[in-house]
Amino acid sequence: MVASAELLGEVVKTDVLVVGGGLAGNNAAIGALEKGLRVLIADKSSIDRCGAIAGGVDHFMAYLGTDTWDTREAYLEWVGKIARGTVNLSVQNAVFCRELNAAIDRMERIGCTLKQTDGTYYRTISMGQPGPYFINFNGKQLKPLLAREARRLGVQTLEKCAISGLLTHDGRVTGAVGFNIRTGTFYTITAKAVLLATGNTNRIFENPTGLPFNTWQCPANTGAAQAMAYEAGAKLANMEIVRITLVPRGFSAAGLNALTGMGGRIVNAAGEEFMSRVHPAGVRAPRFKLVQAVMKEIAEGRGPVYVDCRHLSVSEMTHLKKTLGYDKDTLPDFIEQKGIDLAKEPLEIMPSEGMQGGSSEVNSSGIMIDENTASTVPGLFAAGDCSDQMRCVHICTTGGYLAGKMAAEYAKSLEKIPKVKMSQVTQLKKKTFAPLQASGTTSHRQFEDTMRKMLWQNAGPARNEKSLTVALEKLEELGTYLKDIGARNYHELTRVLETEQIWLVGRMMCTASLARKETRFGVYHHRTDYPETKPEYDGQIVLWKTDQGIETEFKKLNYDVIPPL
Amino acid sequence: MPPVIDLKKCKKCGTCDLHCPLDVIHFDKRKKLPNVKYPDECWHCGSCRLDCPVGAITIRFGPEMLCL
Repeated sequence: MVASAELLGEVVKTDVLVVGGGLAGNNAAIGALEKGLRVLIADKSSIDRCGAIAGGVDHFMAYLGTDTWDTREAYLEWVGKIARGTVNLSVQNAVFCRELNAAIDRMERIGCTLKQTDGTYYRTISMGQPGPYFINFNGKQLKPLLAREARRLGVQTLEKCAISGLLTHDGRVTGAVGFNIRTGTFYTITAKAVLLATGNTNRIFENPTGLPFNTWQCPANTGAAQAMAYEAGAKLANMEIVRITLVPRGFSAAGLNALTGMGGRIVNAAGEEFMSRVHPAGVRAPRFKLVQAVMKEIAEGRGPVYVDCRHLSVSEMTHLKKTLGYDKDTLPDFIEQKGIDLAKEPLEIMPSEGMQGGSSEVNSSGIMIDENTASTVPGLFAAGDCSDQMRCVHICTTGGYLAGKMAAEYAKSLEKIPKVKMSQVTQLKKKTFAPLQASGTTSHRQFEDTMRKMLWQNAGPARNEKSLTVALEKLEELGTYLKDIGARNYHELTRVLETEQIWLVGRMMCTASLARKETRFGVYHHRTDYPETKPEYDGQIVLWKTDQGIETEFKKLNYDVIPPL
Repeated sequence: MPPVIDLKKCKKCGTCDLHCPLDVIHFDKRKKLPNVKYPDECWHCGSCRLDCPVGAITIRFGPEMLCL
């Protein structure tokens, strides 16, 4: 009989547990701390540089009221257009519009101004926007500045900590367990509210560079929240979406936005600006249209494809070169080491790896949240890319903060947290450390490589009933090998945990894709057997766990009315 | 191949180990030096270079990315 102290490992009690200390999680922690509660951030890295904006970010979308396109109403109308079917306008209004002014002030206050040195905003237009919503700014220190603010407010952290499961009691989430990714110390964390903010799911599809960690978003983001919330019985939405973007060939780096936003042209081998042949907005078309067009150009033998910035004015090129490292710190190094001067020659681009994530720049895929950022399980909140309604810097900032406030309010309403159930901790701990005793006949890399290739073929940019059914069958078969994946140390144990999370997200993605019998957002959900977009699918595919497996339902959404502020 | 650490400049503060979002850099406690232990898991985010207080880290891309 194991003594309970040994079983529990290091016990940590808090009011609000934030899992994932990235942009959304860090803002959430600040929101909860300002309400005067104890807040603990658990992250696999340090909160100074974790998550998608580790080395920097350069764009913050906002309406500033300068013109007719620059209003809340125009923004929401555009949102309803580009994300129709996956975005919930009432939630968008709550998690972004209501919190926008406070977010801009907060950015200023912590020392990360959105303004240029001359005090003006530099705004760029792209991705189907009706006006230049993107504020271009220097966000290289945004992550460390957010971390500093959270520490100033008294946040506790468990860094190099992988959370491996949620604790529940009578249908409520009451904490989590995890381990230190170096020492293997086991943690039992009890909390009045748990807020998940672990981002989207990467490393799920074949990487065209052959390097699985060469990803557009953070490769440490592997669907932890989606997997844990699913196991806790929460509803998820938008899981059918495959997100693909365009990146410099060889390097899945963010930055295309900056290049096209400042006037870069996308051309084929013959130097033709083929986008205007494909879409009236040309290079300012929605992202999925750009991706589709480039894929087609290459498939039909008119590649390589390039982004050409040679025509930019001297001041535009100066601005571009100065700011190119804001979103991806090492992109200027990559371009230089390729021997390219953007003023003199074009840069080859390619479609990125696929990822499971949002269909647009304004919403995401994951835990279904309401206007209070609450999931369908009491005590469980979600923010950022792991929720279904928050994407990109602007909403992770505003919505993360709101989630922190909401989790804090919920926590305040509780008198105490129920005691930990030993049987639950025993079960979760056994599952967490099992790979250390596994046969090791399969490695996490082998497993993932196979899964990635299989999913790209069957559930990638083109899907049909048969291919998705086959994908689910193969995932089930692959699932029988999960128990054989070994880990020789706690770093590898973290990777195995990530593999399991990706596998579960893969199952959710294929199941949701089967349920959406139409095509929406082009290659982001392309059913070759249902090639039209149908108004009857103007809503979300929602899924949850049952004893029989993954259950789905359709949730119709309203796009006729712009919700009041 | 990412990051290259100049061990002569390194002042052994361990920041690169702490700040890497992918747990790629492990500070070797015996040798008292940082080691890029999992180079194929590097995301090329630049955090190590950004936060090294003595500028000991450079980023070098390899042919697997430059020549694709």
